[in-house]
Amino acid sequence: MSEDSGATAPPYIVDLSVAVAVARFDDSVMTLIQGYDARGQSLVLPVLALTGASLDVRTEDADDLLEGLERLGNAEVAPLRDAEQAARLAAVIARTGLDPWDAHVAAVADAAVCPILTLDAPKWRQHSGDLDEPLHIIEIADPDEPRD
Amino acid sequence: MSDRKARLTITVDPHLSAYAEHLVETGKAPSVSAVFNDAMEARIQRERRQRRLWKEAAERADPAKVARMMAHVDAQAAALPKR
Repeated sequence: MSEDSGATAPPYIVDLSVAVAVARFDDSVMTLIQGYDARGQSLVLPVLALTGASLDVRTEDADDLLEGLERLGNAEVAPLRDAEQAARLAAVIARTGLDPWDAHVAAVADAAVCPILTLDAPKWRQHSGDLDEPLHIIEIADPDEPRD
Repeated sequence: MSDRKARLTITVDPHLSAYAEHLVETGKAPSVSAVFNDAMEARIQRERRQRRLWKEAAERADPAKVARMMAHVDAQAAALPKR
């Protein structure tokens, strides 16, 4: 919630890079996420991004961390619910060439008109014009740290 | 909290009910209630472990770095087109 305008902030769509950071026990990203959760900021977790993160790390700790992400008070998993959503995801994959993990993030962000929270802004900038409406991106970065 | 057992009426999937009864029949559990108790206890332990991992991350993180990152996120969020 914005304190000055009273407007409700849109949910942030957590992408694969953020989910992987959580699965790898990145304390800065996890603390940032907890900070937003404490503020009441809604977070949407596309289920395939969680799948991709679990696949990336493959440890019991990683899966516990991802379950902990889901258990935050203002986090909600976006499932792949039915054939219509499955077909929509397939269409996003076909248009963007993204992996299913990222394409699910794009599909959710596109449908909900919400920004993608990411550690990999260049990848999303590359694809932001692939869909009918531009994707909005919020990058997690420390401005004091040099970029790779 | 009282140690007295609470009586619950619950509805479970048929395959889970069948498995709980199988555990009792084969002597792996004293009762279906014990199976439910064990499952809930395991869930409590798992959730406690998850919370501990997240708490540890917050304790290890550099607060100044996290504050800079949040300010960076907030600045981008403020610049987004209004919905």
